Amino acid sequence: MEFYLKVLEITCLYTILVLGAYLMTGLTGLFSLGQGGFVSIGAYTAAIAYLKFHLPFPACIALAIAMGVVVGFVIGLPTLRLHRDYFLLVTFGFGEMVRAALLHLAQLTGGGLGVAGIPKLVGLPMIILSIVVITLIIANLKRSRFGRDCIAIRDDELAATLMGIPVYRHKMKVFILSSAITSYGGALYAFVIMFIEPNLFNWLESAKLIIITFVGGIGSITGAIVTSVVYYSFGEFFRFVDVWRDVLLAIGVLLVTIFRPQGIFGNWELTPGKLRFWRRKAV
Amino acid sequence: MEVLKVTDLSKNFGGVAAVEGFSMIQRENEITGIIGPNGAGKTTVFNLITGVYPVDTGRIWLYGTETTRTPAHAITALGITRTFQNIRLFRNLNVLDNLKVAFGVKTHYTFWEEMARLSRVRREEKEVVNLARSYLAYFGMEKYADYFPYNLPYGLQRRLELARALMATPKLLLLDEPGAGLNPREIRELMGTLLKIKEEKLLSMIVVEHHMELVMNICTTLHVLDFGKKIAEGRPEEIKKNEQVLQAYLGDEV
Repeated sequence: MEFYLKVLEITCLYTILVLGAYLMTGLTGLFSLGQGGFVSIGAYTAAIAYLKFHLPFPACIALAIAMGVVVGFVIGLPTLRLHRDYFLLVTFGFGEMVRAALLHLAQLTGGGLGVAGIPKLVGLPMIILSIVVITLIIANLKRSRFGRDCIAIRDDELAATLMGIPVYRHKMKVFILSSAITSYGGALYAFVIMFIEPNLFNWLESAKLIIITFVGGIGSITGAIVTSVVYYSFGEFFRFVDVWRDVLLAIGVLLVTIFRPQGIFGNWELTPGKLRFWRRKAV
Repeated sequence: MEVLKVTDLSKNFGGVAAVEGFSMIQRENEITGIIGPNGAGKTTVFNLITGVYPVDTGRIWLYGTETTRTPAHAITALGITRTFQNIRLFRNLNVLDNLKVAFGVKTHYTFWEEMARLSRVRREEKEVVNLARSYLAYFGMEKYADYFPYNLPYGLQRRLELARALMATPKLLLLDEPGAGLNPREIRELMGTLLKIKEEKLLSMIVVEHHMELVMNICTTLHVLDFGKKIAEGRPEEIKKNEQVLQAYLGDEV
């Protein structure tokens, strides 16, 4: 029981990160390999604020989000003017830079030893509540002007500009919101896992977030959540197959990209309307 | 009333003069045509007016407000929208959402209201859906509301692009080869549609077009470009008789 609870907690934590990546890569088409950097920023900010500065828990979380927003703004300022591959490279560099900084600022961050002794202040209810709130926010944005503008930018930047969308400013909003969600996820992570170190979130973790977004379908929040839950819990439940785990997952990803390039869920969303419809049919 | 005034517009691409010293005045509720052989700089003129490229020299005014250095998205908000030579619809948005995007500049709700989907968002979204449907109806495309644009036949895609441009409620509409790829019957329909829009929406239009029948019939004034320079300007009947134009573009048989 204890084990399953732990797996569920971790899976749900990662799902928050996937939601941040969905907003950025799925909805807006910004390929960022720097998400891991924001997770670390959130986790370290919250943990250090709590352990070294003895701030109350909610203040730590708020500070982590604020830090994500500020860093997101500063990093977004130059990088969001870049196009696809260049944006990817610079965000990749950013993520690795954060990792290097955490390793070398040993006095503050504990360097390679990480930060231990963080109390477990976050449990499953809070994580799930967070997922619900974040999902609602993203779903609300997706079905009004903000989301349409995101998809328009992803599809055709020039046409989007000429439909009156301030592309750069819009990308900035997306980037900051995504950074905020991701650092929030990082902050929760610190208080769930109770130990953090610089190498927890390297660029591979960032890449996984993007892969999950695509396998689930870039048009579907439902897809991102379901795929995330399956992907991360699969990893935990199939520990006994050892190294074959990654091979199995890779095969799964390949099969999806070959036979269903639009992702498992495509543009399909699970909406309250559909749920009501099914219930009526079942009765 | 002058809708658009352009003076001495020039643009170079790596030493090649794409547009050189182009000037024009667009009057209210008129259709102006820009014609010329391939590579004459017609689309570049559009790209300069809509702010896609920064201008090298020259100035542009929309209703007396200078827009020479205004960013492209702000120019749209000021009232110029356009269609594209090669159709550029949003492929992951359905027909209705493609129209809604264009109305974005007119919605009032803020990002924070959107996040919580407050009543103002719901109300304005309802309005925008109704408006989009009315534009679809205007173009006889109601039944395609849920289609994705690239599942539509080519002619309808062109029509949808026109509808989307109108959805932004422009004062000046720029059409980049609206007749490209259409058959003669569709071209005649298009002429009718454009004249109808002009009358009903009190719009001004600038049309870049190869199709002589179309421009000769709907435009009040024509500008002829050749190698980036304007070689003639006038009413269609005058242009038809202009020696220079015939030589550069229309050929002997017209």
